[in-house]
Amino acid sequence: MGGLLSYFQGLFGSREMRILILGLDGAGKTTILYRLQVGEVVTTIPTIGFNVEQVTYNNLKFQVWDLGGQTSIRPYWRCYYSNTDAIIYVVDSADRDRMGISKQELVSMLEEEELRGAVLAVLANKQDMEGAMSVAEVYSALGLEALKTRTFQIFKTSAIKGEGLDQAMDWLANALQAKK
Amino acid sequence: MTDARYFTTTKKGEIFELKSELNSEKKEKKREAVKKVIASMTVGKDVSALFPDVVNCMQTDNLELKKLVYLYLMNYAKSQPDMAIMAVNTFVKDCEDSNPLIRALAVRTMGCIRVDKITEYLCEPLRKCLLDEDPYVRKTAAVCVAKLHDINASLVEDQGFLDQLKELLSDSNPMVVANAVAALTEINETSRSGNPLMEMNAQTINKLLTALNECTEWGQVFILDSLSNYNPKDEREAQSICERITPRLAHANAAVVLSAVKVLMRFMELMPSDSEFVTNITKKLSPPLVTLLSSEPEVQYVALRNINLVVQKRPDILKNEMKVFFVKYNDPIYVKLEKLDIMIRLANQSNIAQVLSELKEYATEVDVDFVRKAVRAIGRCAIKVEQSSERCVSTLLDLIQTKVNYVVQEAIVVIKDIFRKYPNKYESIISTLCENLDTLDEPEARASMIWIIGEYAERIDNADELLESFLEGFHDENSQVQLQLLTAIVKLFLKRPSDTQELVQQVLSLATQDSDNPDLRDRGFIYWRLLSTDPAAAKEVVLAEKPLISEETDLLEPTLLDELVCHISSLASVYHKPPSAFVEGRSAGFRRVPLKPDGSAAAAAAPVEETPQATVIPSQDSLIGDLLSLDLNPPASHTAPAAANVPSNVDLLGGGLDALVSEKVAHWAATRAAGAPAPAAGGGMGGGTSAGLLGDIFGITPTPSNYMPPKQVWLPAAKGKGLEVSGTFCRRAGRVSMELTLSNRAMQPMSGFALQMNKNSFGLVPAQPLQVGGTGRVEEL
Repeated sequence: MGGLLSYFQGLFGSREMRILILGLDGAGKTTILYRLQVGEVVTTIPTIGFNVEQVTYNNLKFQVWDLGGQTSIRPYWRCYYSNTDAIIYVVDSADRDRMGISKQELVSMLEEEELRGAVLAVLANKQDMEGAMSVAEVYSALGLEALKTRTFQIFKTSAIKGEGLDQAMDWLANALQAKK
Repeated sequence: MTDARYFTTTKKGEIFELKSELNSEKKEKKREAVKKVIASMTVGKDVSALFPDVVNCMQTDNLELKKLVYLYLMNYAKSQPDMAIMAVNTFVKDCEDSNPLIRALAVRTMGCIRVDKITEYLCEPLRKCLLDEDPYVRKTAAVCVAKLHDINASLVEDQGFLDQLKELLSDSNPMVVANAVAALTEINETSRSGNPLMEMNAQTINKLLTALNECTEWGQVFILDSLSNYNPKDEREAQSICERITPRLAHANAAVVLSAVKVLMRFMELMPSDSEFVTNITKKLSPPLVTLLSSEPEVQYVALRNINLVVQKRPDILKNEMKVFFVKYNDPIYVKLEKLDIMIRLANQSNIAQVLSELKEYATEVDVDFVRKAVRAIGRCAIKVEQSSERCVSTLLDLIQTKVNYVVQEAIVVIKDIFRKYPNKYESIISTLCENLDTLDEPEARASMIWIIGEYAERIDNADELLESFLEGFHDENSQVQLQLLTAIVKLFLKRPSDTQELVQQVLSLATQDSDNPDLRDRGFIYWRLLSTDPAAAKEVVLAEKPLISEETDLLEPTLLDELVCHISSLASVYHKPPSAFVEGRSAGFRRVPLKPDGSAAAAAAPVEETPQATVIPSQDSLIGDLLSLDLNPPASHTAPAAANVPSNVDLLGGGLDALVSEKVAHWAATRAAGAPAPAAGGGMGGGTSAGLLGDIFGITPTPSNYMPPKQVWLPAAKGKGLEVSGTFCRRAGRVSMELTLSNRAMQPMSGFALQMNKNSFGLVPAQPLQVGGTGRVEEL
């Protein structure tokens, strides 16, 4: 019976998955969102507020929320946590100075009760830049090894060049379907 | 269990339900939820707790949903100022939407969100919208600039929005022009500096006039209003503007018509009143004003209040239209009273018969206020039109015969005025008046009657008895009646000293010993002393011949009238009060009639305008213009009363309307030693005309002897609450003198008056005390 239901759900595209893109300001969240949606690099200005777009990937529909990363806006992230299926956490790999802040934000976010079941994809973005930290460095800088129960994965990406995003989305799609 | 349980509830409540519906995935459900939220908001329920959830619905391609969310934002952004920032990005995006309706909607909503934290983020989108390709977006953005200016004026100036707005004045679309004008005017009025932001020149005016013919009715109102602030450089320009706006008088919208009337009324001031052009306009102004009176009563009332001003300023315009102001039986009372007022103003010899028969009709109506005013109007006609006075008096007598209490009282009040105007003409009716003595119960009527008895005591045999009957209840009378009674009895005593001595002593002791009213007491004492020291002098004072009363007693002050004419079709013209009297902090909206260039020196009439001139000396905050800045910067300086007993705490330099409450007409010269070395003065001078003036002071002018430059108006009457100060400097017997003429252009006496010379860098000080009347005349108060 359950199998039949999931079959129909698969057939009709089921419900939209809700994904949040979070990260510090200037990490490349908006660029990633529109790279996913229209497949191009658009010029962006700092997001004071949010963007929300429908993204279809491998016949899966996602409702993707890109929230601004400014210090003044971060307190309002929590308003968007409920019913979230997945989080894409974007890190500017070239911004070594603020890696600590990024870690703090990530840790406090993951402590939220509402996000307990959410899948996490960390994108070590801006790999095209010189002096960018490697994936391993980002991994340890964010203290990801401490995550025990969370389904998560880290990817090296460059939103400008479009590298690594597909892998991340593939993984995310699989992880979300497996969760169901 | 504690009482805390009353505060916890197991029910989730409406808000919770709405919240979950707002977060629903189904668009249909979401839209329904937003509608429910708006409905709750409209009936006054607080749904601000849903702010984040509603804002999250903002990014949608459904225009209806977007509008609803915007509506919610306008209402609650103020109560959730921090959270409002989440909406910014959506505004930015919407301002770049492909649909111009959405762009305009976004920019309009942005202007309505008065949250400091987010205004700066909205500048960029606003800038883009001001340059938008779609006129609808541009015109909406223009208004948004004015709104933004209200929130944060300096931001608007720093971001250069004012310049962008000024550029919109030359936009190809007339509606954009109209809105830009409206926005600039609004900004002008609120700007604290009071300096006009919008420098109008012939070119701008031309563009405005072109746009005027094409834009919507309300746009026309904005354009006409701003035209009325323009000062044409010469008569010809004023004429051509008038010609181009005259067709607006035929517009169906009353606001457009009144605004056009305003511009014409103002510009007519610039032309000689006997010119053919003015006569023509006068003819054209009448039909539209008459047409306004056929609209619904509310509009009629506003029109009548404005017409009242027009009639006072230029009686010629409606002189042949008396009939339209006749009261209809079904007019509301407020329209009736206004019409009556205008009827009196228009009454003249040729139409008085008609007017009188109308007024007599009105005096028999049922509405008490209206009847009273009608009776009063008859009296006013008698005073105004001499030929009709006899007819008026007989009409009043007829009315008194009706014995209707309030009609009788009102008639007596006006008959008193008629006696004042035509002494020794109608005294035969006094006996009729006396018959109604007992019915008078209103103070004004009683006072009037007592005045009549006192004034004509020698013709009324039983005057002493009549007055004595009033005296019985002296302490219960209104102070107005008490004063009249006192004076009347004194008059009676002076006329018939033999048998009224007792009476006068009685009233004097009542007034001086038993009354706590200082006015009454003082008057009593004055009479007492006069009578006891020199009865002959008393006779001269008390029975002196009284000056005739003027015909129009309720005219507005000319300066106020001039100002109000510039505010026709605004609330000020309905209240008959300047805007500064009822709008807080709007002193900058001061308007006045342009000064009329006088014949020969037409071209040189400009210096009296408010244009600030170059000045060497930093402008002072002191009450009195520095002597020299007064010289260099004539229009801005206010000489005159400083430490007077007038309300001198008003800051004279503060704003257009603040100022002087004072003075008699005096003509005086202050002489000062010419202390400072002439070359130093010449060297320190900055500008052209003023240099010439100072040159005169120090005698470096080529015509050294006795040349006196013509007096200039330093403080126009409109700015000095009726006090006009004009003056000049001259050289007399080797000394520098300043001559000032202070003229009272107000309709009331001025008193308490001081003058102070401030320190100045030329070291000029008064060499001797002020010589009031030294070279001129001192006129009556």
